[in-house]
Amino acid sequence: MSVVIIGAGPAGIQAAIHAARAKVQVTMIGRTADSAMYGAHIENYFGVPGKADGTEILKVGLTQALRSGAVHMDENVTAMERSGDEFAISTESGLTVNAKAVILASGVSRRKLNVPGEKELFGKGVSYCAVCDCNFYKGRRVAIIGDESEAAAAAELMTGYAAAVFWITAAPKASGRMISNAESAGAKIIGESLVEIKGDGKVSGIRLSGGSYLDVDGVFIELGARSSSDLAMDVGIIPDADGTVRTDDGCRTSVDGVFACGDMTGRPWQIAKAVGQGAVAGLNAAAYVRGE
Amino acid sequence: MVTELDDRTFDAFIEDNAVVMIDCWAPWCRPCRLIAPVIEEIAAELKGKVAVAKLNTDDNQGIAIRFGINAIPTLLVFKNGVMHEPLVGLRPKEEIKDYVLGL
Repeated sequence: MSVVIIGAGPAGIQAAIHAARAKVQVTMIGRTADSAMYGAHIENYFGVPGKADGTEILKVGLTQALRSGAVHMDENVTAMERSGDEFAISTESGLTVNAKAVILASGVSRRKLNVPGEKELFGKGVSYCAVCDCNFYKGRRVAIIGDESEAAAAAELMTGYAAAVFWITAAPKASGRMISNAESAGAKIIGESLVEIKGDGKVSGIRLSGGSYLDVDGVFIELGARSSSDLAMDVGIIPDADGTVRTDDGCRTSVDGVFACGDMTGRPWQIAKAVGQGAVAGLNAAAYVRGE
Repeated sequence: MVTELDDRTFDAFIEDNAVVMIDCWAPWCRPCRLIAPVIEEIAAELKGKVAVAKLNTDDNQGIAIRFGINAIPTLLVFKNGVMHEPLVGLRPKEEIKDYVLGL
């Protein structure tokens, strides 16, 4: 009789408050600091005087969710799969949490880096999907770009294909376990950021923030945590081409027991909409696990 | 209808059809799975104008190497046997149709 909420921004927190108050067991997994609301000034949300501090509102909201009975795990989800009538949700610290219902509330993720060469060399050595394209880089030299769990997983994966894997991460935020897995698999961590991708018709190398140049054949841009649309696909939901997950008025996706709310259901990307959908998703997920 | 090609049938398919679009994919590639139904729809809508096929790059690495494919999904497009700039990554259906019809 449990609900797992993936994402700890305004949609996830509101879903946690409503589901927990409906007396079901609630586990919310996600980093509040990853929310677009974190560090933002909020002016257009009901009841907020002047410029409110988004970080502070998130903190208060998280406390409300915990007081309502929800449990919060401050880490990212790496995979989700169906396991009988339940869902098994894996986290970056290596834990697995089972749930009867899942609420996807992890927002939209930035995929592009917008550095010189990125757009021009996409498909010519630049990739946004290591899982898709790893096979084309057997015996070659590749760079993985990103600080979080998706980059760590890509770095580890690519060591099974490429001759040399450089993980470019100025500020690694993935879990210690994932960083250590990537390193022990053979990825070389470079604590700089990517400045430019070079190549004429195909990638030949990258320039880094320290001024050095690295010869590589492939650049895998893997920003952020596992995206919400990727997690949706894990359980058979097909998102739109832009990653939006479609829901009905009750925040139900095309898969029974999986709900979605907030930015990932499409525009407007507004706190007011995220909170409203969070409440609907929380109540409907609680009703679902109670068999109502 | 989307014809399934392999390394052996690839060249003949291009020779036998004036305008050809080939969806290069692999089973573990989620974006490929997303674009697959779109390709099926395009094949039906452009029937008689464009011959649409798919190629599993995992099983047919010779073609992937020959055409320099290093990201999937890639749509290879040919007109009268001449290869045009491939479309890489997820693209909206109308953009794919416009591109192929505009060759």
